[in-house]
Amino acid sequence: MSYDDIDAILTDAQKIPCTFDLEVPGLGFLDGNPGDEIKAGTRVDLPLWLAEMLSIGARLGTSRLVTLDLPSALSTRVMNALKADPRTVDLRSLAPHFYRLGVRILELFEEEEMVDILIETFRKRAAEIADHAHNPRGPLVEEVDFLRGLDETERQLFRVAHDSAKEVRVWAGEVKKK
Amino acid sequence: MAFPLPQGITPSEIAFLSEMELVTVVPRQRLEILELLGVSPSGGSTELLQPPVRASVPLWLALLLKRQRRINIVPPFWLHPESLSFILQIETEHRDYSDAFSPPPRLPGQQSVGDRTASDKLKPRRTVDGQPYFPTPPFLPQNIALAPAEATGPGREAPSLPYHWLEVGSMLLEAASDDLVDPNQTRRLLKDLREVRTAKMRKGIDVLDTAAMAGGGVALTGVGAMEIGEMRGLVTGIVENLRYFSGFVLGKIGVSKEQARREQLAEEGNKDYDDTQDYGDSMEL
Repeated sequence: MSYDDIDAILTDAQKIPCTFDLEVPGLGFLDGNPGDEIKAGTRVDLPLWLAEMLSIGARLGTSRLVTLDLPSALSTRVMNALKADPRTVDLRSLAPHFYRLGVRILELFEEEEMVDILIETFRKRAAEIADHAHNPRGPLVEEVDFLRGLDETERQLFRVAHDSAKEVRVWAGEVKKK
Repeated sequence: MAFPLPQGITPSEIAFLSEMELVTVVPRQRLEILELLGVSPSGGSTELLQPPVRASVPLWLALLLKRQRRINIVPPFWLHPESLSFILQIETEHRDYSDAFSPPPRLPGQQSVGDRTASDKLKPRRTVDGQPYFPTPPFLPQNIALAPAEATGPGREAPSLPYHWLEVGSMLLEAASDDLVDPNQTRRLLKDLREVRTAKMRKGIDVLDTAAMAGGGVALTGVGAMEIGEMRGLVTGIVENLRYFSGFVLGKIGVSKEQARREQLAEEGNKDYDDTQDYGDSMEL
């Protein structure tokens, strides 16, 4: 998670819903009224890095500019779906960097249960990814759907697993290289 | 992540390392001693090849000479179809090994099962500058053929798969199939063994979360070099991410759960952990 980790930067660019607590002059462009002030109580989606900065007053004890809400990708509805069956949820459509977003959000919110759900989800899906990477069964419908729903972390995992399995097969002479 | 080279070592590199394994050969021509660097545990040079006396040479030299039809390779004991089907039976049917790999060959100095008295004390070897070390595969004689008396005698050990079993087996099947007993059967058995063991490896993934967080582990006693190499990327990827989620996140929320679990484990004491079992298994991962 270094400074120029492209995935970390993309994670910070994902938007999360915020509510302004104060009236701020000149910030109206965020709400589509350039040059105007932004009213207290306006709800806008801001990138994570900006939202974090604006809400930082809350931690310092001064009055804060915005209140953060949970993004829809980590809403209770999604968490319930993950609890029911992690394998059928399309994480990619929720957020391309789902797990990293979860980690960032958990830095800002206290959500004990979400940690366990995320870990359990990753574990179950990782086992599934390993199966798919080692036994490519051809373009079955449910397999394609599952692989399309992988988030970036899981995609990297799939790629690593698939490549190493393939390299061993190439070495053993079972498949031709490339 | 941006670094293009893959993590760990590639299959061809693993195969290259396993070419240092000593195999037994029957020479057809005389070959003088070759002065080389560190060929075998006993020293730097190869043995004198004098037909028809058996000799041990590194696999790479044996393959080279075999291709020139100057020697015949005596297959290692474990590569016989009977040995392989015995091991396969352990892997598939034995109750104790339904989730674990079949036991690896006994290491020098390690006590054999049921024989606690007669163990040869393991002495470390010395490097050139005097540092002590214990040899590991491929510098252990795990692939040499047994003398006829050893192979049939009452005190012989059950066959077991050495660390480089898949590599040595495949290379011998490829280059010296006419020296093996029933090469087709051998090839089939190696394939079966590989599938059985891959399935066990896959089962281990389900319990990786305990390995990542609760200080637990996945028993890999008896695993082969190629099998580790194949799973390294996946397993380290999963564990790394689980650690990232749990340790990093929980570190912020009060006392981390990892620490709580560790304390709980420390109270219970590590009763189940048997340190003689995992000797030499954690390498390279």
